[in-house]
Amino acid sequence: MSNIILPNSIEEVLATDAVIEENVARIAREISRDYQDERILLIGILKGSFIFLADLARRLNVAHAVDFMAVSSYGASATASGEVRIIMDLRTFIRDKHVIIVEDIVDTGHTLVYLQRLLEARRPASLRSCVLLSKPSRRQVDVSIDYLGFEIPDRWIVGYGLDFADRFRTLPYIAALKPHVYAPESHDAS
Amino acid sequence: MLANDVKRILISEEELQERVAELGAQISEFYHPDSRPLLVCVLKGAYMFLSDLTKHITIPHEVDFMATSTYDGGLDAQGAVRLMLDLKANIADRHVLLVEDIVDRGATIDYLLRMLKQRQPKSLHVCSLLDKPERRVHQIEITFLGFTIPDEFVIGYGLDIDEMYRNIPFIGIPKQELIDRLISE
Repeated sequence: MSNIILPNSIEEVLATDAVIEENVARIAREISRDYQDERILLIGILKGSFIFLADLARRLNVAHAVDFMAVSSYGASATASGEVRIIMDLRTFIRDKHVIIVEDIVDTGHTLVYLQRLLEARRPASLRSCVLLSKPSRRQVDVSIDYLGFEIPDRWIVGYGLDFADRFRTLPYIAALKPHVYAPESHDAS
Repeated sequence: MLANDVKRILISEEELQERVAELGAQISEFYHPDSRPLLVCVLKGAYMFLSDLTKHITIPHEVDFMATSTYDGGLDAQGAVRLMLDLKANIADRHVLLVEDIVDRGATIDYLLRMLKQRQPKSLHVCSLLDKPERRVHQIEITFLGFTIPDEFVIGYGLDIDEMYRNIPFIGIPKQELIDRLISE
């Protein structure tokens, strides 16, 4: 992808499609190695993770199924407890199964911690998390990430599943948005 | 593990990727660059197709998801399905493209199209990776079609058998032993 035509709103490409592919392949090798003969269930969190999940799942060498959850946070900002609203729950019973949550990004960590607690209560055989992007500088709670694609700085990231008001989600690369797009009158990105 | 259960590869990974890229180009031509079409994916089957398709659509667009399940006892006569996940987006006055993995009998998609039409989108079209015309009961107009296939059970690239094989990167026909084994379980 040498000739990227950048939309005007894009400031900088942080990961090209080739770099993403390399990292997704690496994560798939790690998961395939760790689970070997186990059958696993990958849980994609909508909407952000569907592209990551589609590419990851194809590269796994272990038997696996996929399921989806759709969540949304209450109000404009996450509450202190990080509680999220489950818009669509799993179809699958996960008790005694090996489960991996697949997320596009971990920011404050509240959503992932909440999901981990929720799913742990259903007593899976094991529960791990696989995250494409992590913004450690934004973290408010400790959260365990077992498989990670990239660490990124605290900028507004779009592409490969990540959006700004549902725009830019399907760009085939990961990029930082120009600040004036998401914060036209202030520098407060929250 | 996987190859042993596949009797025949119907559409290879290369053929799939090539065709998906062509469909992406067609869709990019079809819509006005400022029309911001909404691609509606019906889970779970179409998620992988959607993921690749969007990579080849060069005009700004959005994606949204729906999930359905059948009522006890299967489809009713009108093909009504339970909506497990409705759209997030309001589609009134928007250009909507329903993205499906396969059109088979056509009952579910016919129902979804009727439901979406009531919300008065500006336009409503169908993009399906696969078409099995021999099985069709409801007439469905497919504006963007990947492949027409014979009436065989197919797996891969989003299509599953008992939740397995959904993520193999090609479309294959499973061995009869696999179908029999999974059905008897």
